[in-house]
Amino acid sequence: MSDATQTELANANPLPVRARVWNRFAGIFWLSPTGAIGLFIILFFALLAIFSAWLIPHDPIAAYTDKVLHPPSAEFWFGTDGNGMDVFSRVIYGAKFGFGIAIPAVILSLVIGIPVGLIAGYRGGLLDEVLMRFVDGLRVFPSIILALAVVAATGQSLLNVILVLGFLDSPVFARVVRAEVLGLRSSNFVESAVAAGNPTWRILFVHLLPNAIQGAMAQTAVRAAWAVRISATLAFLGVGIQAPTPEWGAMIRQGAEYMVSGQWWVALYPGLALILLVFGLNLFGDGLQDLMDPRRRSAK
Amino acid sequence: MTFQRFLLRRALMVIPLMIGVVFITFMLVRIGGLDPVGRLAGPTATQAEFDSIRNNLGLDQPLWKQFSIYLGNVVRGDLGESWLSNRSVLTDIKERAVISLELLFWGVGIGALVGVPVGLRAAFRPNGRFDQFTRVLSLFGFSIPTYWLALVMIFVFFYLLGWSPPAIGRMSLLVTPPDMITGSYLIDGVLTARWDAARSAASQLILPVICLAIVSAAPIIKQTRAIAIEVLSSDTVRYAHACGLPERNVRKLVLRNSAVPILTYIGTEVTGLVGTMSLIEYVFAWGGLGQYGLNAIISGDFTAVQGYVLVLAVFSVLVFIVIDFVVYLIEPRSELS
Repeated sequence: MSDATQTELANANPLPVRARVWNRFAGIFWLSPTGAIGLFIILFFALLAIFSAWLIPHDPIAAYTDKVLHPPSAEFWFGTDGNGMDVFSRVIYGAKFGFGIAIPAVILSLVIGIPVGLIAGYRGGLLDEVLMRFVDGLRVFPSIILALAVVAATGQSLLNVILVLGFLDSPVFARVVRAEVLGLRSSNFVESAVAAGNPTWRILFVHLLPNAIQGAMAQTAVRAAWAVRISATLAFLGVGIQAPTPEWGAMIRQGAEYMVSGQWWVALYPGLALILLVFGLNLFGDGLQDLMDPRRRSAK
Repeated sequence: MTFQRFLLRRALMVIPLMIGVVFITFMLVRIGGLDPVGRLAGPTATQAEFDSIRNNLGLDQPLWKQFSIYLGNVVRGDLGESWLSNRSVLTDIKERAVISLELLFWGVGIGALVGVPVGLRAAFRPNGRFDQFTRVLSLFGFSIPTYWLALVMIFVFFYLLGWSPPAIGRMSLLVTPPDMITGSYLIDGVLTARWDAARSAASQLILPVICLAIVSAAPIIKQTRAIAIEVLSSDTVRYAHACGLPERNVRKLVLRNSAVPILTYIGTEVTGLVGTMSLIEYVFAWGGLGQYGLNAIISGDFTAVQGYVLVLAVFSVLVFIVIDFVVYLIEPRSELS
């Protein structure tokens, strides 16, 4: 290679870092406009969750006992519920629960699922067999029934809901990582790492992890959507999060009886918020999977 | 492999799964924080009363002994009695299974009838307007909480428009149910020529079935599209194009070659939809197996939960076997395995 080409190569990256980051960001919009819309929706709800204290006109659990079941008005934008609590403030406040459950639950799934997938894929053998059979066994049950049964049996607290969802969803990540590791196990870089005398943990977490994690990361947004949905469903069934808590599922539960008597606003608005956040997460997750999986991109 | 041998092998493979399922649910309900004894005894019960209830239910025995007794009973086909209602769990489940199956059949059937053609059409012109539209629509369908959709539909079609009867179960209170033959009011009504009963049953079915169909169609659309796109880029289809086959025949070929994976997918989806269906039953006070299971779990009725979970597992395995068999009929070269 001549000197001239080398200088050319060195100069091949004329854009300053900030411009490159921006280009990449704009590239997401270009490659997946729906994913970008999803991201916007998520950010919108994140802002609601962070700034809810300044955004809500009323205390979400203050009962105006003389204003029970008032329809939407200038004072109560989304009306009041059966306790006389402001539905608008409660819906805004509920965004905290969406993120507060989904983020730790997904992180927990990653923390459990990724090492299990790495070890199962790298070691193979009996451990792998047992783990995969266990995961297959879990798939016999609908996830909501499983989550409901475990939460009902092990204790009804917010923390427990997070733990159960995180644990139950970890096989998703374990499976993806395992599949990646199976493909990488006999590749040259792993073999040279072994030959160089790396201990197994180093091969797993330093050499394999960065190469096997992409598929799992692409799943995170969709799994967060799942966590938001299931936790709301549990609350709707009265399990985990209880009634006056301004959580969307619990609010829909409260509003259910008023649907047949015409007070639609109690259950409608929390449901719309729930749909929108889950929809945003799914849109973003769909775009993410497209971007990270070239096969899917070309299939489009 | 002959069909009998296939069934036998499948049954043998299922047994360890079943024992595992029974064991896990058994342990789960017992080591958890639920205690049915307190609920049964009431707030004023003395310690002696507590102990006698515990003794009657067999809860004072060591866990392994409880489990072996239970397993023995299950093998003999005895799922025990509900601790809260004292009714036989097996009878309760049998009565309710048909009710749920009817709902599931219509819901998934309509969902598939809508979802498969829509997914195929989206696949024939990927990234076309129709594809973009249905893609967003199906993601939206993924995101709707079933129970909320059911509530909104009740509000619109019962309260606002008055088109639908109140959501109080499977039949109007003013109509006497038809004689029991299959357990489905609709079919029994038709069979016994009780047209009023059949009509009432049908009008009660419409809303829950639409709910279930919407929720089940969304993933079917997505998956059908993905499968058909893969088939469209296969060598078979490229060859058919190269031979100059007319578009219509190519599409027929695509349909034929996508049938097996689509069917397999719908089979796996049915299992997950049982959860969705339970929520719909819960909102519509349907009184089927799904609602029974939810109530059992929420109220901590150990024997009922165990029975329900076991039946669910059996059901999913049966669905997989049926799908395998249908796939074998469509595509005889695929071995029954």
